[in-house]
Amino acid sequence: MSADWLLDGVSVYTEGNAERKLLHEVHASFQAGKITLLIGKNGAGKSTLLETMAGLRAVRDGSIRLGEDSLWQPHRRNKRLNRDVLLRLGISMQHSESQWFAATVREEFQYSLKPYALDKATAAQRINRSLANVGLEEAVLERDPWTLSGGQQRRLSLACLLACEPEWLLLDEPTAGLDAAGISRLCAVLQAHRAAGRGAVVATHDLDALLPLADALAVVSGGAVREAAAAAAALSHAAAAPQALRALAELRAAGAAVPPETAPREGAPWPAPREIAAALAAAMLAKPACARAAVSAAVVQPVSTAPVPQAAGMQLASAAPAPQDAGMQLASAAPAPQDAGMQLVSVSPPFGADEQAAAADDSQMTSSVITASAGGLRSHSYEPQSESWAITTPAEGFRSHNHNPQSESSAIPTPAGALRSHSYDPRALIAVYFLLAAGIFTQRTLLETGIAAGLILPLLVPFRAFLKPWTGMIRAYAVLIVIFCVIGGISLSPLSFDGEKALPILIRFSKLLLIMLIGMPMLKLMSPMRLQRAIEQTFDWLSRLHVPIHSFALLVTLIFRFIPLLMGEWERFAKLAHARGKAVTPVKSVPVRMLRAILIPYVRSMLRMAEQMADALEARGFGYTKRKPVYGFRLRVGGLDVKLLGVAALASVLLFLIAFFL
Amino acid sequence: MKHLEQIEVKSLSVTPPVMAAGQSAHPILSQIDLTIHKGQWVTLLGRNGSGKSTLAKAIAGFRMPGITGQIRRQPRSELHGKPIPIVLQQPEASMVGSTPWEDVVLLLEQNELKADSIIGRAESALREVGLGDRLHQPIETLSGGQKQLVAIAGCLAMQSPLLVLDEVTSMLDPEAAQAVLERVRSLHAAGATVLWITQRLEELPPGGRIAALADGRLIFDGSAEEWFDRAAGGTLESICEKLGFEAPYAAQVAWELEREGVRLRPFPFTAELLAEAVNNYER
Repeated sequence: MSADWLLDGVSVYTEGNAERKLLHEVHASFQAGKITLLIGKNGAGKSTLLETMAGLRAVRDGSIRLGEDSLWQPHRRNKRLNRDVLLRLGISMQHSESQWFAATVREEFQYSLKPYALDKATAAQRINRSLANVGLEEAVLERDPWTLSGGQQRRLSLACLLACEPEWLLLDEPTAGLDAAGISRLCAVLQAHRAAGRGAVVATHDLDALLPLADALAVVSGGAVREAAAAAAALSHAAAAPQALRALAELRAAGAAVPPETAPREGAPWPAPREIAAALAAAMLAKPACARAAVSAAVVQPVSTAPVPQAAGMQLASAAPAPQDAGMQLASAAPAPQDAGMQLVSVSPPFGADEQAAAADDSQMTSSVITASAGGLRSHSYEPQSESWAITTPAEGFRSHNHNPQSESSAIPTPAGALRSHSYDPRALIAVYFLLAAGIFTQRTLLETGIAAGLILPLLVPFRAFLKPWTGMIRAYAVLIVIFCVIGGISLSPLSFDGEKALPILIRFSKLLLIMLIGMPMLKLMSPMRLQRAIEQTFDWLSRLHVPIHSFALLVTLIFRFIPLLMGEWERFAKLAHARGKAVTPVKSVPVRMLRAILIPYVRSMLRMAEQMADALEARGFGYTKRKPVYGFRLRVGGLDVKLLGVAALASVLLFLIAFFL
Repeated sequence: MKHLEQIEVKSLSVTPPVMAAGQSAHPILSQIDLTIHKGQWVTLLGRNGSGKSTLAKAIAGFRMPGITGQIRRQPRSELHGKPIPIVLQQPEASMVGSTPWEDVVLLLEQNELKADSIIGRAESALREVGLGDRLHQPIETLSGGQKQLVAIAGCLAMQSPLLVLDEVTSMLDPEAAQAVLERVRSLHAAGATVLWITQRLEELPPGGRIAALADGRLIFDGSAEEWFDRAAGGTLESICEKLGFEAPYAAQVAWELEREGVRLRPFPFTAELLAEAVNNYER
């Protein structure tokens, strides 16, 4: 018997120090035996929501339950996941192909099945069945997964998931990169899954393919999840709207004879091409003289003959984001057939009648289509729905997401004020660094070091924003200093603490800390390309001595560019290993037993990334030997640099004076 | 009209050399003939593994093992036999600079354009793709679609004779994909020659040329009309269906209309075209 998901007030933040809200008090439930689609723009939080449900993201507040069981084990100091819940779900993350851990396809299956401790016969049976379901031959079992084509690899990753026979499938963009045949396989798999009474939550942009399967729809936007009626909400997503609905909207706007409401039907919430064609043809084949009359007579939505400058679908979209609440209500108002296999999701409690009327009035200004169907809205949106996709959001909470400015502002983190990577000349920065570092090193006593700190720290104030990401490291280093001092100062026989011994350690490490502190903002203050240019301009004379200074400089740029990509990739693999291995630890720490599994694919993926980058570089003309380096721009020492250098020189002189005269 | 020719591919084949003993050499592309004229928009269709990307790279002039045949570019551009920069699927991997401005400037420097023209060209190209106010925004804060626009700006700044875009929308969400597509359309309207590689039929431009690959062979080269044409009153399969492509909804409606005896021309394969065709029918 499958259980339902219940998310209660779940908030998730980015890891690390730069706090950013990814999910904000999400209240939602997903019912077993149903397929729920998550729609929304990129970066809205769809993937985060799926990963949170799979225990791949630490939850700040709120609870996640699958039936009676909590995803995270309660009452433990060290947070642990509930293994029972993990075994009941299977997640496929974005770009889940090309991340293989083993040498053969069979071993891939075994890796996925290991947490389930199945006997051999059952395992073999499941492997064969899931291969058949995704349309792969058994012959692939002995092949190296890396030798499969991209499409085959996608199918294999789905097969690995299916072999575990999870109650719940959590899929992130499962149709990406699949061709038409692959997509219809996927849909068949999902239907079979649902028919077995199991559930799925699918994040997707591909409404053309998946909306016909969906039982419910949830819109993720700015870290909030709201629920929506199927077709209309889909249509309001402009570019993501299914073609059929766009076509219908266009036809209506053009005043064509289109069936008004979709009749109750199985499958897609839109009429089949044949039905539309039949309706259109009936009007169009009427005698040419009366053709226009016939067309206007057949127009079902009277307002749609009004001059509608643009596609109606587009207008819906533009109406939706402005007043969020209204947009939502309107979404459910447009011809969304509740009876077409789509569950209209009830918003509890419903908005007041005034508000609704106001919303309808607003919409009159923007879209005639909306007005046309506003009557429908009143008729059913108050009805308590016995079978609706239950949402336990209290009204205040619900409103607060929609008006939450934070959810919007989370898009772009702005770096400190006007200081950017092109504010300073890297050469000036390096000179400043050396000046100050030398000054700090000349200090000898604790008092001198203290004064130096008093001098340096105020200088860092304008750059404090750049130091923030390093807070954890600075703290760790400070703890380290204390530990070293304690160890250095302790004598064992007799047991005593000797301050004299600890002092030099304290001084030395404090000086290093100061020097580290000056170095930290520099990384953000120079971009790799400017550093490259600095190296080239400073050491250009070396190239006459046949030192490959330009290649070296380019290398530096690329390394800087590569590091964040590599770190992101490691995180992805850690998640993947967690998800497939059903580890119960929070994802931040990779269990040792999984290191071996991750390391090889990670190295492979690094090489692949390097290859991609090399490809891209070649595609952009980087690989071809140059006659002479061309500089589109040169670094010049500017006013800011002079100011910075001046301050640093002054500070440095002061430091020297302190060291010599104190 | 020889001088109008932009790019001419003659009997192009790519058969990668066999690495391990016992494997047989399997051609990725075989005997491709294709001429792309100035100002054209060619949509290259093909399923996974049909050889689309290889053809794109070959046309762009990449060095690759096992390539035979001829590729002629006319007129000769500033690229001097170097490959045309192409825009790839993965927006992340191809960025080198840490801001759009840096990225395009680096590209131009590496391709040895005149030093004093570089900044001007880079900035005007970035403005052309609509990134004028984001010249110095850190790359990691750009969306996927904006990154693709940076890469496209690079090609523009190089005054590349052909914009080669290899499934640039496949990793983007529909909004971003739409924005990129619209931007490239307007560049095309301003005269750019475009090779747009995709699996999505809804990205076909009205009146464009379609080339389709299957198993390394060019199996179709013609107009959208021919691509969707169902002979015998809409009962026989069109080339589109034969090749296993899911036709856009509008095209399916149009086929059904043909079955009913309503023949819409030009053949509508987008929602807009369908509405227009229905509206203009017999008027």
